[in-house]
Amino acid sequence: MPLEILLPLVVLGIAGLGLALHLLGFSTPLRLTCEAHVRAAWLREHPEDAPQTILLTQDGRAALLRLASGHLGLLRALGADTVAQYLGRATWQITANGIKLTLPDFATQPLNIRLTEAERQDWLALKDHL
Amino acid sequence: MNTPLTYPDVTSLAVPVFIAAILLELGWILFKKRGGRYETRDALTSLMMGAGNVATGLLLGFVTYGFLMWLWQLTPLDLGSSLAAVVLCFVLDDLRYYWVHRLGHRVRWVWASHINHHSSQHYNLTTALRQTWTGTFTLMMLLRAPLILLGFHPALVLFCGGLNLIYQFWIHTETIQRLPRWFEAVMNTPSHHRVHHGRNPRYLDANYAGVFIVWDKLFGTFVPEMDSDKPDYGLVHNIATFNPLRVAFHEWVSLFKDALQPGLTWRERLLYCLAPPGYSHDGSRDTSDAIKQKYLARHPDQKGTTGFR
Repeated sequence: MPLEILLPLVVLGIAGLGLALHLLGFSTPLRLTCEAHVRAAWLREHPEDAPQTILLTQDGRAALLRLASGHLGLLRALGADTVAQYLGRATWQITANGIKLTLPDFATQPLNIRLTEAERQDWLALKDHL
Repeated sequence: MNTPLTYPDVTSLAVPVFIAAILLELGWILFKKRGGRYETRDALTSLMMGAGNVATGLLLGFVTYGFLMWLWQLTPLDLGSSLAAVVLCFVLDDLRYYWVHRLGHRVRWVWASHINHHSSQHYNLTTALRQTWTGTFTLMMLLRAPLILLGFHPALVLFCGGLNLIYQFWIHTETIQRLPRWFEAVMNTPSHHRVHHGRNPRYLDANYAGVFIVWDKLFGTFVPEMDSDKPDYGLVHNIATFNPLRVAFHEWVSLFKDALQPGLTWRERLLYCLAPPGYSHDGSRDTSDAIKQKYLARHPDQKGTTGFR
């Protein structure tokens, strides 16, 4: 197929499908509803390291976990799904709206976790409590 | 040996069909309220990975084609372009695909390219288009060499490879449950391929087929889909991005970080490149075999069941 046809077809196809999906409501982010939800999502990826303490954010987008192994974990919503990551080598940075986490992982962009002041204190306390 | 043989670029020609089929699947899911899930950014990432795959094919395709044409100069054999030759080439190319795909899951160097295809937690027709941008660097073109040396023209071999990929598009769906028994017995189907995309321990490293599922049955990698263990799609440890650049290159970055870390022997560096995904010199990570063993330790009643033999 000539490029002058293929290129517009691909660009318009992607844009059109993206717009259609958005307008149909497929962009609604997942909201973590409760500790049980967080626990199940974490165990889905790390079945041998159960969460002992769970700090779920008010907006339901992320949770900080202290795990049975003693390590820290982060469970967060990504689109309609979740990702579960260890925070062992993460860099923590206080921001105006919460905490910025940078993981030494090319696939993970720096994360801005939105937290209330009380939540931030709790997260920092859990981080430092070994 | 310089037969001027050309075939249409079937993958590009199929683009309108891909778009129409995705719309059809989406409509079905909306209408029936079942048969799969869509998420905007996930689908967009898959589509952009597909577009990038076509673009890298245009940019780097000359490497593979040049290599295959070089082999074509060497071989004294020419099987021509009869219908029988095309059919035979298609079947043998599917066998070639099986082994490329199996290596893609068992050799980290190849997995670094193929991982992006499994990086979606969704399973719909857009997932089929989540294709690699870095396939050329895996050197899996070498596995096409026997076909050329047997006398199949490079254009025919690449044409059959394109048909193979088009066949695999429609099996990336949850809208189709099971097909007639004879079809499920011979052909790769949505059910068989859902297993391949499952991150459930029992489904790891199974169903590598492209078109004919018989290869998996022949080489001992076939696992049927179990209604009692619905496939959970994605990677063992899912990636945290929709950024196509990060999706395309993240495992290469990890591989080189691992292999180039200080204090390793050359053997360990090599194993980081060539051992199965999950290898680590200090045993801190799990391969798929270790994941299965740990699962069985937690669920001993599952020993000997499908996928755990």
